Amino acid sequence: MKSPGNKILYTKNLSKFFEGLKALDRVNIAVEKNKVILIIGPNGSGKTTLINVISSFYEADGGQVFFEGEDITNLPPHEIYRRGIIRTFQIPHPLRKLSVMENMLIANDNPGESFIGSIGHSWMEREEELAEKAFNFLKFLKIDHLWDTQAYKLSGGQLKLLEIGRALMADAKLIIMDEPIAGVNPVLAHDILKRVTELKEEISFFIVEHRLDIVLKYVDYVYVMANGRIIAQGSEKDILSDKEVIEVYLGDTYAEA
Amino acid sequence: MAQEYLILNILLWIGFYLIVALSLNIEYGFGGIPNFGRALAVLMGAVAVGSLTNRILMLYFGIGGQIVEASGSIKTITNDLVAQNPAAGISLFIISIVVAAILGSLTGALFILPSAKLSEDYLAITLLSISEVVFMTTYYHPDIIGGYYGISVPNFFAFIPGEQRLLLFAVLSLFFAFLTYLFVNRILTSPYGRLLKAMREDETVVKTYGKDVMKIRIKTVAIGSGIAAVAGALYSMYAVNVIATNFSRVEWTFYPFLMILLGGLGNSRGVVAGVCAFVTARITLTTYKFEIAQAFNLPFDPVWLEYILFGLLMLLILVYRPEGIFKEKPIYTKPVKKVLKKEGVLK
Repeated sequence: MKSPGNKILYTKNLSKFFEGLKALDRVNIAVEKNKVILIIGPNGSGKTTLINVISSFYEADGGQVFFEGEDITNLPPHEIYRRGIIRTFQIPHPLRKLSVMENMLIANDNPGESFIGSIGHSWMEREEELAEKAFNFLKFLKIDHLWDTQAYKLSGGQLKLLEIGRALMADAKLIIMDEPIAGVNPVLAHDILKRVTELKEEISFFIVEHRLDIVLKYVDYVYVMANGRIIAQGSEKDILSDKEVIEVYLGDTYAEA
Repeated sequence: MAQEYLILNILLWIGFYLIVALSLNIEYGFGGIPNFGRALAVLMGAVAVGSLTNRILMLYFGIGGQIVEASGSIKTITNDLVAQNPAAGISLFIISIVVAAILGSLTGALFILPSAKLSEDYLAITLLSISEVVFMTTYYHPDIIGGYYGISVPNFFAFIPGEQRLLLFAVLSLFFAFLTYLFVNRILTSPYGRLLKAMREDETVVKTYGKDVMKIRIKTVAIGSGIAAVAGALYSMYAVNVIATNFSRVEWTFYPFLMILLGGLGNSRGVVAGVCAFVTARITLTTYKFEIAQAFNLPFDPVWLEYILFGLLMLLILVYRPEGIFKEKPIYTKPVKKVLKKEGVLK
């Protein structure tokens, strides 16, 4: 099995069962530093479960997750964040009554977030730094005009952008994105992915996405999942020519091309 | 005279309830922690005064025996002492407030511990039951605050003539309410307040971004309970008598909830409006209930009027104006406003 070297994240025989159903069956994936790794697969193949187990929202039933060489399997979610991993959700999780700007500002540490810290002034400098960063990301995502809008008033596509914006705020070393461009218009989708590749210098990306026509040209390595197992991996070309992949996932469109 | 009494009484209770409602707003309005055990923290303020301060005085004056009997003698001795020496009275008053705040915080933190992992509705029920258990224990166990006999509390302001006591305590309660307002506003119009609101909206997100929800909950309830206990202590020192039945869940949990729902969750202005409206209505109503019952020829005992009307009010708020009198506003701190102005989106 060929797997990328210089791994920031890798799993070792990671398994998860739901009452006998093997949602993840000894999954081995690796995310190389400063690369964009894509994972594809039909609905129900276990992609989101994989993200949930890596980010500790589900407990693993077997196997391990390693981040920067350390075993992080089943650590509490806030510990996972501390190590430098952030994840986005397939269905956006906005803080509904909070404004877009407030949503962004939650996504990083601030000494003013502790009770004692809030009494003094020591957080102000950090707050300004974060606010500037937040507004710049809003501008990039072209939702800066919505800064004062409460999140529940946003459209589905705008919520996706907010979700991505928050993830970018977090200074993470690895961002795991669950369908980041689903429901986003193609022009903006390309913009987002272009920015992702620009950010590769500092951040590694692990992306679950269905819209292969858009996403494929931005990624460095692809895993294909089906029925809780990794059935293929390699570069864009390897995947598109893999017979099993075409059969279970890509179907006719790509077979013709 | 009667009118002066009515107004002072309204001011006194606005002060007490402001303290409690502001504390509840930190926990529920911001943090989304449905603390249906608010009365417990207020009761702890009474325990601090009735039990702890009394015991300190028992030791100091070398009085032995049961606290219920001893409290009578303590009251006489202390009142005489304070009448001669106002500084001693004021010190005892301050000590009682501080002890109440500490005891309130500790109990708050302790009782949220086993329940901090529960989801909202279970948490509410658990806190309500814990509060009831403690209430029952203090009511039936004579060694805490005298059980169903109640316990005497010295008048720490015995140097002030009796007819000015109401005025004094109205001023004191409003003063402490004002301090509470400043303090609460300070801590909530900061990243801490924003984090609490985020926790209320979606705990998953808050966890994803590296915050320890359990720790935030415990701290927040400790702060809220400490503040609420101050109201309990003030009320006990005003009443110079402590009995558990004065700290019922209706008066100190449900009414404060009603006040913050009426005023609007998640903002201090709303709390002030809610408390003022509610307390004024309630005291006017209880003062004139017989007149009202006669005027409208009500077919039931006017005693029930209060409960019926407030139940109705609760339903009306929840159906027609769930956001309360004042809507919640986003928290933009000074540095954030500065950036927004620089970007030209905020004038």
